[in-house]
Order: sequence, then structure tokens, then C-alpha cells
Amino acid sequence: MTDNVITLDGVWKIFGNNADAAMAAIRERGLGKAEVLEEFNCVVGIADVSFEVKRGEIFCVMGLSGSGKSTMVRHLNRLIEPTAGNISVMGRDMLTLSDADLREMRAMNIGMVFQHMALLPHRTVRDNVGFPLQVRGEPKSTRWEVSQRCLDKVNLTGFEDRFPRELSGGMQQRVGLARALASDPDVLLMDEPFSALDPLIRRQLQDQFMKLSAELNKTTVFITHDLDEAIRIGNRIAIMKDGRIVQIGTPEEIVTQPADDYVRDFVEGISKLKLVFAHSIMVPISEYQPTRPVNFDESPRAHHGTDLDQLIDIATSTENVIVITGDDGADIGVVDRATLLKGIQGGKA
Amino acid sequence: MKDTNFQSPDLSVEEFAVENGPYYAREFARIQGKTGFAWSWNTMAAVCGPLWGAARGAWGFFWMFLVLELFALVQIGRGLWGELGADQLARYERLLGNIAKREAQAADLTAAGDAAGAAAKLKIADNLRAAADKALEAANAASSTALAILLTGLALMAVIKLAEGFYANTAYEAQYLRWRSGQKAQSGMSRNGLIFGAIGLLAIWPLTLVRFTVAKPDEAMASVTGGLLGGRLPITEFPVGKEYFAALSKKGDAGFDWLANNFGDVFDGVTAGIRWVLDGLEVLLIQTPWPVVMFVTVVMALRLAGPRVAIFTAASLAYLAFMGLWELAMITVALIGAGAFLCVAIGIPLGIWFGKSKRAYAIAEPVLDFMQTMPAFVYLIPIIAFFGTGKPPGVLATLVFAMPPVIRLTALGMRGVPEATKEAAIAFGCSRRQLLFNVELPLALPSIMTGINQTILMSLSMVVIASLIGAEGLGALILEALQYAAKGQGLLGGLAILFCAMVIDRIAQGAYRKKTGES
Repeated sequence: MTDNVITLDGVWKIFGNNADAAMAAIRERGLGKAEVLEEFNCVVGIADVSFEVKRGEIFCVMGLSGSGKSTMVRHLNRLIEPTAGNISVMGRDMLTLSDADLREMRAMNIGMVFQHMALLPHRTVRDNVGFPLQVRGEPKSTRWEVSQRCLDKVNLTGFEDRFPRELSGGMQQRVGLARALASDPDVLLMDEPFSALDPLIRRQLQDQFMKLSAELNKTTVFITHDLDEAIRIGNRIAIMKDGRIVQIGTPEEIVTQPADDYVRDFVEGISKLKLVFAHSIMVPISEYQPTRPVNFDESPRAHHGTDLDQLIDIATSTENVIVITGDDGADIGVVDRATLLKGIQGGKA
Repeated sequence: MKDTNFQSPDLSVEEFAVENGPYYAREFARIQGKTGFAWSWNTMAAVCGPLWGAARGAWGFFWMFLVLELFALVQIGRGLWGELGADQLARYERLLGNIAKREAQAADLTAAGDAAGAAAKLKIADNLRAAADKALEAANAASSTALAILLTGLALMAVIKLAEGFYANTAYEAQYLRWRSGQKAQSGMSRNGLIFGAIGLLAIWPLTLVRFTVAKPDEAMASVTGGLLGGRLPITEFPVGKEYFAALSKKGDAGFDWLANNFGDVFDGVTAGIRWVLDGLEVLLIQTPWPVVMFVTVVMALRLAGPRVAIFTAASLAYLAFMGLWELAMITVALIGAGAFLCVAIGIPLGIWFGKSKRAYAIAEPVLDFMQTMPAFVYLIPIIAFFGTGKPPGVLATLVFAMPPVIRLTALGMRGVPEATKEAAIAFGCSRRQLLFNVELPLALPSIMTGINQTILMSLSMVVIASLIGAEGLGALILEALQYAAKGQGLLGGLAILFCAMVIDRIAQGAYRKKTGES
């Protein structure tokens, strides 16, 4: 038994009346997106998507509009039925669940936050947050207690009896988040939750969400079209294009080793200072050829997980090269000024 | 001004026009260079008229000038060969015949020795002669205007030709713009279009010309076509009488009779159901002592809609009471109440269904249109055939007319629920029933309430019509006023209906506003 909470294996979604025929044709003849549209009048939503999300991980899916990211996330709680492939969440095969079991999964185990909040306008904030519990048949006292706790968590204490229309966009989205947390789900699906907010509020909510998520340790799939956001929030990032996943990796991997030009284009404008770490730019100590004599004993030491930002701080306080140490404290590599500058520029010399 | 892009429209104009490309490129450039109307002359269009439009696919141009030229041609035709005084001449001949008859009668009377009678007949004959002279004069005057009419026609034709010449390129440029933006618009000349246009001209012009310029068009046509057109096929009226109509309406009668005979139990059951609802309401409103009903109504208005509506309600009820219309009004309200209750009870579930199923709505939509647009008198006939007369059939007639709004507005409200909200509810594990009662109905409520309100008001407008088939109440009062032209009674009864409607409407709206927290 692995620690994977979510597993997608070869999931396809084809929209249209001839989806099954189109799927067969794709399998047999390897048709492309344009050909499927022309021949079967079907649109390929997502194509052959596979990934795993581990317990407690924040998995960001990043892509532009139309890349299929929102379609993909709706497969995880089966708001959309896949055309082919397997989906399992918390060890249960989502596709074979009965309607009742599926509803129970949605009500108990999978919380979701939407881009446009989708709050119920005729209910107070408290009743909105308590809605997932009401669906589950919890009594009013439990609902009120839980929604109070969740609203406290998102700093909305005192707004319980307001209606959604009386709240600002950022506050509404916090209500959405509280609603998703109300049923204490194991999995949190976030579909571009902060995209419709202005940049300042977005940043605040990102911080708040990261704090909350560190505290609650929920397995999260986070959809965004903003690479900065994905890098800030995600433990790992999947980049989608035309329904396919182009690359999966940690923020550092994505930034330092983009899989193709598409990803490289995205990464170009991203500041690398906090994403690139000593071990990916250092020269192994055995290969290091100093341009002038150096004395490693006088050099400052830095752990191989030190990011560029911190390396710059160290470099400005010494004339010497920086020696990088491994987890066991042994010297494993060297960063000199040239290496550091190249690293800041983007990638190893 | 050396804009290279400016070349490409020119090129595409030539591609569009095909024949005479450079000419149109030049003219269109002129038109596009002007802000107002550009005077651009098209000789071909002026000479060929509608046929130019037909060949170029400018069908608006074709039809417009087809009619205008025809109008000018009719004037020219009347001037050239129209028997202008023909109708007056015919009258003259008829009068001469009458005069001869009177004179003959006078001669007979003289022979019989009745001099006074003969004098009277001769007097009539003299009067007729004066009329005949006048007719002859009018006939001569009419035929002398022939030249004026001919000249008017020619002038008109000239003006139309000028309009064609100057308008053609403007219209064609608009067509070019449609063609450029990929909408359906013909480019170049089309032989099929030309042939169709010519056939159209041939079909429309000659017959119309004959009809308007010849005194006896059927006879003229018959002599030309050897008895086919005008003889066996008259062009002045459609050669079919009432025979198909009679046969079909007889079949319709038989069909209704068959239904009434075979499904009598069903119809009786429906009637009984409606009567049950109606009786309940009538007991409530009429058997309850009037002070109780009045008090409850005013308090309800006060609580639900505020003091202003309460005062209005009290005044309206006082009006009904002092005019001695209390019982009639209560009968009417019971009638409306039963109608509205059934409309809502049947209409809202139907509306929910139509809101969810596009296919069901597509089928129901024409039926709803039919129910609303069909004049009430038309469905009163089958209602009488199936359900007889009285109050329950009156309620049924009200249902037919008043149910569509609540169905439509419920369906509209259901479809107006944002997909995102429904999706969110489903994502939190809602079942279909939970979705309906927790999300869809609450969000559709404003629309549904509007529908109910509409239904109530439309029921009221049916009271008078329902009284035609024996539903008592204020409607019957007005019907009676109509029959005896009793103006005062009609006015007072009408006001009573108006007050009933306004009280119900204001209380319902107030209640709804209160519920949604608006003010």
C-alpha cells in the first residue's frame, strides 16, 4: 500500500456524441486533437493524464485557459465522467462507486473550492459553510458548531449571519474555503480559487491558505493559471497543455530543467532566487578547478538546500568561495561568484 | 496616404463583383470614401431595374423595385388603355334601365287611370335621370384624366429609374460587406437568379396589370387564354367556396361528440375535482361571517405588506360591501383562487420539468403559445362540449389561459440557476432531491413568484369570459351590463374586479418582498 491519496492512470476525456468511437480511433490510429475534431466532431478535453498525489502534498496543476486543467480536476470527484482510464482516491476506485457511495465520498472526503465561489445567495454565511454537513444529514447544532470553527480558521469570525452578497470577493472566497473544510475532508480540490481576485487580496489569501494547509495537512490539488502562484504554493507542479501533462516536478525542477520550449517560455519570467538551491548549481568538490588559490578551511559553509537568495547573502559577506555541505555535514561542492551569477541568470554554466 | 493595405479591398471587390470588377472597385472606393450618401450612378441597374438585382443576388433591391415599377406601370396602363369611366358608365347604363322601367310602370298606371301614381313614378324617373346625367359626366371626366394619369405614371417611372441607378451601388456595397465578413451573400452574376427574377416578373406583373387596368379582368383574361385563366380559374377571387371547410368542421363535430361520449367519466371526474376545490374556498369566503373575512384580510395586508396596503385593502373591501357586491366578489375570488391554486399546483411541477429537460420544453413551448394566444372563445366551445356550463368549466377556461405564465417563469427560473452553483452543490454530495429543494427552487423563487402573480392577474381578466359559460360572480354582473348596455352597472362592476385584483396583487407582492428581505 503506497502513500498515494490520489492516483490517475491514463485518463482521457473526450466531449461529444461520438466520444467512444473517437476514443477507439485515437487508440488504434493515434489521431491528434485537430483530427478528432474534424472526423468525429469531438473535443479532446484531457488526454492520457496520469499522476499520483501523496498524502499531505499540495499538487499544483498549471495551464492556460483551455488546457483542460479544470476538466481534469472535476474528474477527481467525478463531476465529469472520464472516457477512459482509472481514477482512485483514497484507495477507492472512483469509477465503480455507486451513486450513494459517490455522494458520500463527496460529502465526507473531498472538499472543493471554486473560482467563482458558487455560494448560495439565499443562505447566510453560516448556513453556506454548514451546507455540506446538512447534505450529510447532520443536525443544526453540529452544523453551527463546525461552521463557527471553520469560519474562525479563515478569520471570518463575526460574519456568520451576513449574506454572501454583503461580503467582498476575498471574503466570499474565504467562505468557500471554510465550506470546503467544513466536512473535514481528506482531499481538497481547489479550482483556480484565487484567480478572480485582485493581486493584493490574492497574495493574502495565498499566505493564509499556505498557513492553513501546513496546519491541517490536507492532500490538495490546486489548479491555477499562474505559475508564480503554483511555485509559491505547490510541493509539486504539473504543467498542462492541450489536455496533456507536459511536465511534472518540484518547482525547482520545473524552473531549472524545463521539459520543452513551452515550459521554458513560462519559466523565463520567474525569479529563481528562492527556487534554485545550492546543490543544483554547485561544482562537485572533486571537479572544482580554482582560478586562484583557495583555502576551503576559511570558506563559509552552506547546506546544499540553501537557496540562491541566501547564497547571495553569504557571498557578499566573504571574499572566499562557498563550500556546500551534504546532509551529513561533509563537503560535497563549491560555489564561487561566477557559478552563483550564472545560477541567478538561469541555469548552470 | 500611401497605405498599401488600401489595395486589398479593391482586389476583393473585383473578386466579389466578377463581371465589371474594375467599375465596381472604383465606385465602391468612392462610396467608402464618403461619410454621407455617395452619388454613384449605375446605368445597368437603372435600365434593367429589378432584373439587375435578381442577377446580382440583391434580392431586397429586386423586390422593392419590382413593386415600385409595377405601381408606375399600372398608372401608365390605366392612362393608355384603362377604361377609366367604366364603373361610372356601368352605373349610367344601370340607371337608364331603371328609368325605362319606371316610365313603363308610369305608362301602365296611366293606362289604368291612376294619374297620381303615374306622376310619382315619373318623378322618380326624373330623379334617376339627374343621377344618370351625373354618372355620365363623371365617366367623361374620368376618361379625360387619362392623359394626366399616363403622364404621372411616366414621371413616376422616371423617378424610380433614377432611384434604381443611384441606389444600386450603395445596396451592392452593403452586400459586398456581408460577403466579405463571410455571411451568405452572392458574388458575381448568377444566371439562375436572373431566370428566377424573370419568372417572378412574368408571374406578378401581367396579372396585376390586368387586374388594375381592365374593367372586367376575368373576361379579358379568359378571352386571351382561351377560357383557362379568368374563366375556369378566376383571378379576382380564389376559386374555392366553403366546401372543404364544411366537410372538415363536420368531422370536427363528430370527433368532439365521440370524445364527449366515450370519455364522459374522465370529464366528470375533472369537474368533480375542481368543484371540490371551489366549494371549499366558497365555504371559507362566503359562509364565514363577513366581519371575520374582512378583519383577517386587512390584518394580513398589514402584516405582510405594510400599513399603506392595509388602508387600501380596507377601502376596497368597504367599496365592495357598500355597493352590495360582497357575495359576488367572494364568489369571484373563490373562482380565481381555485383557478390560481390549480395553476400553481399543476404549473410549478411542469415548469420544473421543462426547466430541466430541454426536449420536454421544446415540445411544450408551442402548446403554451397556443394556450396563450388562442382567443378564449375558441376553447370555450370544446369546454362546454366536454364539461358543460357552470363554475368548474369557468375555472378550466381560466386554467388554459392563466397557467402558461407560471410554467414559463418557473422553467425560466430553473434554467437561470447558475451552473456553477449547482455544480458546487453536487460536489458537496447533494442528491437530486437535495439539489432541487436546497439550491434550484430557492434560487428560482423570484421568477416563480412573478409567475404566480401573473397567473392570479390573468385569472382575474378571465372572470368576464368565464361568466359567458355560466360562472357566476362579478363577471356575470358585467356580462349582464353588457347585454342591457347598463353603463353604470358595468363601471361599478369593473371597479369591483379591479379592486379585487389589486388587493390580491399588493398583498402577494408585499409578502414576497418581505420574504426576500427587500423593501
